[in-house]
Amino acid sequence: MIYHRPIFRTMGDTALNIEFGNETSIALNFRILALDIVLRAHPPNGLLETNPQVRSLGIVYNPLVTMRDKLTAALKEMIASQDGVKTLPSRRMTIPALYDDPWSRDCAEAFGVRDNMEYIAEFNGMTPGEVIEAHTACDYWVTGVGFVPGAFMSYAMDPRRRIGAPLYRTPRSWTPARLLNFGGTTSTIYPIAVPGGGQLFGRTPINIFEPEQKNAVFRHGPVLARAGDRHRYRAVSRAEYDDIRAQVEAGSYQYQIEEDSFDCAQYIAWLDSLGEPAEKRDAQSTWALE
Amino acid sequence: MMLEILKGGLHTTVQDMGRQGGQSLGIPPSGAQDGFALRIANLLVGNASGGPLVIGGDPGAAGLEITMAGLEVRARADLLVAITGADMAATCDGGPVPLWRAFILGAGRALAFGMAKSGARAYLAVHGGIDVPIYLASRATHTKGQFGGFEGRALRQGDYVPVGPAQGDIEALAGRHLRPELVPSYGGRRRVRVVRGPEAHLFSEDSEAAFYASAWKLNPKSDRTGMRFIGPELGFRPGRPRYLIEEAGEDPSNLVIDPGAPVGTIQVPSGVEPIVLGTDSPSVGGYARIGTVISTDMSAVGQLQPLQSANFMATSLEDAVAALKRQESLVSESSIAT
Repeated sequence: MIYHRPIFRTMGDTALNIEFGNETSIALNFRILALDIVLRAHPPNGLLETNPQVRSLGIVYNPLVTMRDKLTAALKEMIASQDGVKTLPSRRMTIPALYDDPWSRDCAEAFGVRDNMEYIAEFNGMTPGEVIEAHTACDYWVTGVGFVPGAFMSYAMDPRRRIGAPLYRTPRSWTPARLLNFGGTTSTIYPIAVPGGGQLFGRTPINIFEPEQKNAVFRHGPVLARAGDRHRYRAVSRAEYDDIRAQVEAGSYQYQIEEDSFDCAQYIAWLDSLGEPAEKRDAQSTWALE
Repeated sequence: MMLEILKGGLHTTVQDMGRQGGQSLGIPPSGAQDGFALRIANLLVGNASGGPLVIGGDPGAAGLEITMAGLEVRARADLLVAITGADMAATCDGGPVPLWRAFILGAGRALAFGMAKSGARAYLAVHGGIDVPIYLASRATHTKGQFGGFEGRALRQGDYVPVGPAQGDIEALAGRHLRPELVPSYGGRRRVRVVRGPEAHLFSEDSEAAFYASAWKLNPKSDRTGMRFIGPELGFRPGRPRYLIEEAGEDPSNLVIDPGAPVGTIQVPSGVEPIVLGTDSPSVGGYARIGTVISTDMSAVGQLQPLQSANFMATSLEDAVAALKRQESLVSESSIAT
């Protein structure tokens, strides 16, 4: 559900979470990203960092400089003065991917689980070819960046194209870098070799985290994704994958990124026209919110 | 100037008071698990103490964080050093060396750390600071991301770790020590203060009571990402909405992705083995969190030995901030005797 008023959650003495709801919702994320832009432009006294995610905005503050109540009051005022989100800055990025790749298959085999692409296809009542078609057919909205360095969470913007698969019951102790994976309907890429439980279905030749910052695209920082980006995946052959990878390693690959803005109001109206509910409710639930 | 690594030990990394501003990029603060011990070590040898972690915006000088055992180093020049934190029965060419006190390690002399007798992490500060390149405004190592510190990894035999130039007369600083009444002790059952929330309301009343009433043992499978605690299983309140089960799974501890951010957050996946997030922790989470260890008490958590017991104690936000202010007044020259 989406809360009538955001709930301020205490995270110890240096942080809090402004929670707008408890479900995954791109429309809700628009409000969070809009608030984040305002906070970064006009940070209240003592505010140190913000961390926008799909349904909440993380705040890090210095309790030696401000009191929590004072900060909370300033934040509430800013939220109250927010209008409906009309547009947001949003880059469009094309991500080449080798689907149904050998590394994902080998990784599944090494951990004694079923081929993940087969499982994803079956879970969605599709063939592997249809999974690839669905994943490349619409933009994915990046709701937030985080977890391990450079990782991000993204969701299919066309609800009719939304696919996914449940996380592993027992996470793997390792996954090769740059593997595409689903955790539920969250679509993401492991930036570095990490443990993880996502269902693996492809590999991108591009770096989404580059600590050496070789490529010009990383000149301002080692992380590629930003909250509010739109990703479009493009299926490539093994030959093209190898070619792009060589360019990425040489630092010469031209990342395909377009500065743009996104008409959020129009998108929400479009979701309405599809009959998508604005929020999820369960009338029987007795779940306490606070 | 250089420190030569003769033995890397179990897990020794270059750490300072961490990096700020990485929460929305997935970049953890990293930095010392026991910030108090590293900052005092730096003060003793005349370095910038930096900190506090996450909020200070000042990494201070870098030192070595030595985990549980085994580091051996040799000075390649006369160095002013101080060892704080865990007692690993350090020796210099076989003779004992003091803790919480600056002393000269002569050129060619070696320092050896044994097994931790009390505490889990010792800190070695060197006048001039460990002079590895600054990456994203800090020298802290994040081994999982393979960046920061010394080549983004733990130290090993044969490494030559650079030390910054001396500023002034190091002999004059030798003998500086922490006032004895301020030296922390790490043994016995530790008390760790916790501020309630952000998802305490999702746990059953009995479980929340059990969380604060039980003794929790540190799982040996703990590291700088998370410290796991063995104890009773915790349960959740009933009545979870249907759509959350569809979205986040059957397990009542599973939430929709959320900023799990701050160091000290206590996640309880499936109600089993609460995990206190360390300084290398991820910046988003998806598990119910019963509370957050207050920032000053992360030092105590970082000094727990495997299977050592701790009690979590509910604390108000006001008391947490008061503790932080007290700690900040202690990380100062007034705490140093000569």
